[in-house]
Amino acid sequence: MPQLRALAFTLAAVIATSAAGQSLPRFGAPEKHVDAELIAATDAIVPGQPLTVGLRLKHENEWHTYWQVPGDSGLPTQIKWQLPAGFNAGPIAWPHPKRLPVGPLMNFGYEGETLLLTTVQVPADLPAGTPVTLNAKASWLECKDVCIPGDAQVKLTLPVKPQAAPSSSAALFRAAQARVPTSALAASASIDGNRIRVAVSPPAGKTLDKFEFFPLEEGRIEAAAPQVLKSEGGQSAIYLTAAKPIASDFKTLKGVVVANGGPAYANGWASVVQAPLSAAAVGAAAGATSAAGAGASMSLLAALGTAFLGGLILNLMPCVFPVLSLKLIGLAQHRTHSGPMAAHGVAFAAGVVLSFVLLAALLIGLQQAGSALGWGFQLQTPWVVAALTVLFFAIGLNLLGVYEFTMATGVANLKAADALAHKSDWRGSFGTGVLAVIVASPCTAPFMGAALGYAITQPAVIALSVFAALGVGMAAPYVLLTLFPSLLAKLPRPGRWMELFKQFMAFPMFATCVWLLWVLAQQVDASGVALALGVLVTVGFTLWALGLSQRGARVFRWVAVVGGMLTALTFAPIATSEALAPGTRSKADAGWTEYSPEKLAQLRGEGKAVFVDFTAAWCVTCQVNKRVALRADNVKTRFAADNIVLMRADWTNRDEKITQALAQFGRNGVPLYVLYDRKGEAAVLPELLTEGIVLAALDKMKETSK
Amino acid sequence: MKMIHWFAASLLASSVASIANAAPAIGQPAPSFRATDVAGKPVSLADFKGKYVVLEWNNPGCPFVQKHYDSGNMQALQKRFGADDVAWLSINSTNESSSDYMPPAKLAAWFKQHNAAPSAVLMDAKGEVGRAFGARVTPHMYVIDPNGTLVYAGAIDDKRSTNVADVKTATNYVVAALTDAKSGKPVSKTNSQAYGCTIKYGSSL
Repeated sequence: MPQLRALAFTLAAVIATSAAGQSLPRFGAPEKHVDAELIAATDAIVPGQPLTVGLRLKHENEWHTYWQVPGDSGLPTQIKWQLPAGFNAGPIAWPHPKRLPVGPLMNFGYEGETLLLTTVQVPADLPAGTPVTLNAKASWLECKDVCIPGDAQVKLTLPVKPQAAPSSSAALFRAAQARVPTSALAASASIDGNRIRVAVSPPAGKTLDKFEFFPLEEGRIEAAAPQVLKSEGGQSAIYLTAAKPIASDFKTLKGVVVANGGPAYANGWASVVQAPLSAAAVGAAAGATSAAGAGASMSLLAALGTAFLGGLILNLMPCVFPVLSLKLIGLAQHRTHSGPMAAHGVAFAAGVVLSFVLLAALLIGLQQAGSALGWGFQLQTPWVVAALTVLFFAIGLNLLGVYEFTMATGVANLKAADALAHKSDWRGSFGTGVLAVIVASPCTAPFMGAALGYAITQPAVIALSVFAALGVGMAAPYVLLTLFPSLLAKLPRPGRWMELFKQFMAFPMFATCVWLLWVLAQQVDASGVALALGVLVTVGFTLWALGLSQRGARVFRWVAVVGGMLTALTFAPIATSEALAPGTRSKADAGWTEYSPEKLAQLRGEGKAVFVDFTAAWCVTCQVNKRVALRADNVKTRFAADNIVLMRADWTNRDEKITQALAQFGRNGVPLYVLYDRKGEAAVLPELLTEGIVLAALDKMKETSK
Repeated sequence: MKMIHWFAASLLASSVASIANAAPAIGQPAPSFRATDVAGKPVSLADFKGKYVVLEWNNPGCPFVQKHYDSGNMQALQKRFGADDVAWLSINSTNESSSDYMPPAKLAAWFKQHNAAPSAVLMDAKGEVGRAFGARVTPHMYVIDPNGTLVYAGAIDDKRSTNVADVKTATNYVVAALTDAKSGKPVSKTNSQAYGCTIKYGSSL
């Protein structure tokens, strides 16, 4: 408390003097925010034996001093020794520091209390009996948001004895010593442009789950840049960003890795890394060079929170419209049954969460196997798109009453089939959840982008929990509805309208088919689309026959089997259609050029402003944005007037370069909109665009480039 | 309304401007800028076309800046090169909510009180000029040649300290760069690790 009061008083004094129109008080003035004291690990000096002493710095709340490499600003603490003859002090052994962000910059230093260790060589011929005094002048820079140089004359008097016992401060020394990184870590480093990749193997019996890297040389790495940890083929890889310009003598990367919070924590550790830097390709997949490193530098809790929020908002995205109609039917149906409503909610949520986790596991697995894939990858495969078309077509036919969803094709009595379907109603809810994810997931909703970007840079367990949070968020509103059935009671009483409503809902399903076929049309050529439409015909035929057999016309059972075989035959070419000319890309709008990293770099180098639209045909949000914002007359006019180069990165098909570009922004999905100003600085626009948002971004760019 | 908040928040989260990416490279054109001086007069880099320009990032509350003003070092450089047709712009990028912030009149008074002689003292409370140059600390120094090309970026000298006595024994990088460039030689030291206090930038949006 007294410290706080002193601080408040100091601040008040500073403000008062500033207001009086005078310059700030002279520094080195009495207010001090750091206490310094010299202490020893033992209670006596032993002739001929090294003595461990330490400069104990106690920082007032929020104040800090600096490590041996201070980061973007600051000064390392210095100790100038004044020792009796024969005594010799070694260099400071520095406990590992903390990262201390200051706005867009980064410092490395200490808060709270720290002990800077020094070993002093004691002469062997020191006479016992006469106490010895060690003097030193310590100087440091103490900073909060303002900085003040601090210094202190410190001294320590100890008796000289043939033997020494641990002093009362011995525990402090043990703790500090544990935090001094000494052991060297097996590591190799490569550099590519300003991207640095360090492959490290944690010490035996230790893990590397999270880390901070502190450079032991100045001007080598960008202190504030996000540092990314990836698990690559059983090895841990650390991605750092080299400071530009890269010094010609930067041949070895020297630094300290502080893992899992450092030695103060149960499984924490700190080691020195000294690895020769070899020039080699370093993928951008780490997001370490990201201009918008928000994804990478997020905390787990924040990522889980953003993922939940992203999942919640996903329900409002255009992607989800077809699924929304399924949910509506679900709700209406549940209204007619008295079974426990919550069970449906839970089943739906389980379907959603499980599908998210499975899809993510698949994505992670494929990524680790070396595929440059991203979120929505499932729709980058033509046969998956075709299969989904068939699925939605089949659902539509079901809603129209052509056939019933049941395995019991032989059940003559429709009512019996109906009862069976209702008994296993929760399975339907689960299925709806699965479907919702498959169709809705290719879109990146606001917040989702950052969370996914974070997830893919993390170990699998963390990544999966982020995806699970996304699922929980998406399922939450539905679960809430089922938990409070009174909300559902507001729906009209069941009756004939239910049947009509159900039939009507077939049309959103068919609309979804049209959309999926449109996606497919951009992935394969005309004969591929024709094949897919052929499959719809055979599926329609099969289900018609199935429906008849369900109504008792048993012979149609065999017709259905034949239809099913026909379907399989037609579908087979599509399943292998990845070879089917993926060359037909979505035709670019006039004025848009196709994205390539080289072209972009060249344009930025020429000082051109560039707008990049990362999109995909299967991303409904992207299409909506295109129509609502990018093709709006006002926007088009402004693009032209401001002389902005328009680039479209089409991710409809797999494209490693685009996947990498997305990773640079900590993303792994579309849409992503990036506006580079004439200085080459990137601004990321939101996932949902309006005319206003685009125009505002252009205004802002104009303002800053004045 | 809620939606708009979400968008604003996600926009904020995803567009954290990086100082590092902004920094212009040596040998590249210096970013053009426009700012207002302490008297309210607009000043732009283009006004000094055909002249050498020195940019000095300043914050009177910073002990590293005080070192160079209390010793008279900075003022001497301003006068020496001012007489040699070099434009000297002292730029203050401290944001208004920082306790180090000085309003224009006060900042002008501080310069006057210290007998400083820059060509202009520029207010950059939004940090736009600072970010454009990737300036990190006070004093961060830049030298731009008459063609508008950046020829030096970094520390004022090689003695990283707040100790006034160090000024005498230090090698001044700005003097070295200007001397090299003016005598038609390539600048031998084009970069150094700038030292000083962190610039008190405001939030980036």
